[in-house]
Formats: sequence, structure tokens, C-alpha cells
Amino acid sequence: MPTLTPTLWDEFTNGDRRACARLITLVENHPDAIPDVHDQLATRLGKAIRIGITGPPGVGKSTLNALLALGLADRGHRVGLIAVDPSSPFTGGAFMGDRVRMDRLVGDDRIFMRSLASREGTGGLSPATPYVADVLEGFGMDRILIETVGVGQAELDVMACADIVVLVLQPSTGDSIQSLKAGIIEAADIIVVNKADIPGVELALQALRFALGLGKGRKDRPVPPLMPTSAQQSEGIDKLLDEIEAQAKRLVDSGRHLEMRRARIAREIRSGIERCLWEKYAARADAESGIAHAAEDLARSGGSPYPFIGDACAKINITLDRKAETNDSQDR
Amino acid sequence: MATDTKIKVVVGKPGLDGHDRGAKVVARALVEAGMEVVYLGLRQTPESIVAAAIEEDADVIGLSVLSGAHMTHFPKVMELMKEKGIGDRLLTGGGIIPTKDQETLTAMGVGKLFGPGDDPSLIVNYIQDWVKEHRREN
Repeated sequence: MPTLTPTLWDEFTNGDRRACARLITLVENHPDAIPDVHDQLATRLGKAIRIGITGPPGVGKSTLNALLALGLADRGHRVGLIAVDPSSPFTGGAFMGDRVRMDRLVGDDRIFMRSLASREGTGGLSPATPYVADVLEGFGMDRILIETVGVGQAELDVMACADIVVLVLQPSTGDSIQSLKAGIIEAADIIVVNKADIPGVELALQALRFALGLGKGRKDRPVPPLMPTSAQQSEGIDKLLDEIEAQAKRLVDSGRHLEMRRARIAREIRSGIERCLWEKYAARADAESGIAHAAEDLARSGGSPYPFIGDACAKINITLDRKAETNDSQDR
Repeated sequence: MATDTKIKVVVGKPGLDGHDRGAKVVARALVEAGMEVVYLGLRQTPESIVAAAIEEDADVIGLSVLSGAHMTHFPKVMELMKEKGIGDRLLTGGGIIPTKDQETLTAMGVGKLFGPGDDPSLIVNYIQDWVKEHRREN
């Protein structure tokens, strides 16, 4: 099993890009290594602003993202960039094309770009994305751009992972009815209408303005600004960067950034406990066969699975409450 | 999960040759075989290809060269890979590459090269076998 070796950690802390890439591979391919990596990274985390870039396929997320990375670097930031493209649920393979739009970033030491396949992730990101972001922050990046796969209406993983969500749309993606639907549009802190150089941009802005105007009653978040850009023509990018940086500053000054970080850590703890409980249950000799038998019976008889679940949970409790040795003897 | 670690391949076309259909077909075949392929596209330099392979931590670099400049591009990429510390990865590729040149390149440490008419499954198998044999620790 690959692990975090002292050599790899030394190279990483010395700024070796190869080591950074290898550490990303480690958390991506070997979830078992994540606790170790995290223990090491922990003191280096907490400052970076994570910016999610999401939106339907083909609206120009990658092209825009490349410009944002360069712009942030020009403003003195070190930029990590994660671009997620979909894995095939049939073959497990992935064709990742984001770099085609990001030629200009290559060889720029202020920027570290990594493509990730979405793998088991179904909410627009790969399960490893937050850990990859941690590695990049640990490597010294203070702005992390996280580009989701092309999404539809309700892939909201990016909300849990990013401090600022930029939703990228383009003209002709639907009338005002589309803008009124719930989901991703509510997650946006900034809405970009890209490809503003093609006709129809005014209509798109109007429809969005109408829908957003109706949402003014929500007190928990301000109405997101609407920003037309043309990534192709490099237009509107500076304004977008100004807005991102202004929001970043507000997040930090208001304490909201810390609050989001707190929520993220709480989630991490919760899912860690879930995983640990599951592992304890799965370690029982009869765990898998027990589930298989119960499922077979229930499928046949049409019963409810909840008595079995309740039973199983009761067994985990015993394992947790006592020391391993005593529970061994008890179980027998 | 951890037992069948994904193979990551960077595919690019160095130089000014604009014929990318072959590279796309091969990339697609690798994806069908379950690999994760980072497609770089046209007009890459040896530097940009190697820099991308480092950031992506790729197991394999695949070059497509149909311009006749293979004796420039392959050795330059190989040299840069060694210089930047990723000489342990596989450099392979394809294009219109005469057998004699293939032999010269192989002697330099370049992997097997493929040409028109080769079944994509040959490339898939070659890469899978190579990675199995040379699996890095992490």
C-alpha cells in the first residue's frame, strides 16, 4: 500500500512540483492514506479561498478558468487549479480535455493545474476533490479554482467544497422559466454569462435579472451579481476578478470564511465516524454474507430492511463501547 | 478500489502538425479500456508536454507525430523527462515513423511506437502490460 513517506513529504515541503503531483495521486487513488496526509497538512490549511466554477457543458468554463488563474496570479496569488471531467460509468475511463483550453498556464510556476476524473462522484466533482484542494493549499496556493464537470441543474457538490461559487452560463440556454427553477442557480455567489460576444446575451441577462429579482427576500445570501464575459475575447475578466476578490475579502473580514471552514471540518468528522462505524461493522466475519442473506430474503418476501439495519447498528454499539478484547469474547 | 489503480496517460501532438484524428481515436480507445486520458491537443512543445505530465503525475506520455519530425520530438521529450525527474515513465506514441527510425528511438529508451493500421487494442495492451511491470510505489 503506497503511503506518505518522509522523503515525499520533504520534497513536497521544498516545493517540488513532482512531489505535489504524487501527493495528489496518493489521496486520489488511496483513500486509506488520507488521514496520514491530513495530519501532516493540517497546520498549513485554513487561509486559501476556494472558488468553484460550475455550469453546463460547453459554456466556456475551462477557457474562463485559465484566464482567472492567470489574472489571480498577476494579482500576486499562487493559484491551484483543479479541473474535473466525467468518468465513464461503463468503462471507468475518462477523457479529460480541459488542458486544451489552458495552454497558456503550462510552465507558469505561480500556477499548479491538475485534471481529475470524476470517478464515483455524481455531484459534479470527484470524491477526492476536497483532499486535492488541501494538498494544493498545503503546497502554498492561496487561491484554489475548482472546475466541476459540465453540470445540469442540481449537481451541488461544489457548494460543500468551495467558499465562492461562480455559475457560468451562456446565451440561448433557455428562457426565464429555466432561471426560475431551484437548484444550482441558488448556489451561485456570482453568475457569469459567458460568450457575451454572441447574440442573445441581453435576453439571457434579462431572464436572469427577472428571476434573481424575485429572490430578494432571502436574507441568508445576497443576490448574486450578474456578469457578462467573453473568455474568448478576454472581456469582462478583470471585473469578474475584482468581484471574486471583493467577495473573498468580505468572507474573511466577516468571519464567514472561518465559519465555512468549521462546517467543512464538522462534515469531515461526521463522515469519518460513519466510515469508521461501517468499517467496524464490515470487519465482522458475517457482515457481507449477513447482508447478502437478508437482501435475498427481503427481495423474495417483500419485507422491510429496517429491522435488520436496527439489529446491525445495535451490534456496532457493542463494539464501540467496549475494548476490542472483551468484545471479542462477548461476540463468541 | 485501491487494487486496480487507474492508469493515467497524457496524449499530445508536438509541433505544427494539425492532424489530430489519430491521437483522438487512440485517446478514445485508451478511455474505453478504462484509462484516464489527459488530452493536450495540438501544437504542443516538448516543454509543455513534460510540464503537463509532471502536474498530472502521468504514468505514460503518448505522442502523435505525423509531420516527419519524430526524430526531433521524441528524443527532446525523452531528454526533458529525464532532466525533470520523470524518466521512469513510459514514452510511447505513433505516426508515420519508418522502422529504422523506430529502432533508433527504442535504443534511446523510447517505448514501442505504432503506425497506421495498427489495431488500437495493441496500444492498450502494450500500455497495460508496461504499467503492470513498472508500477511505481506512489
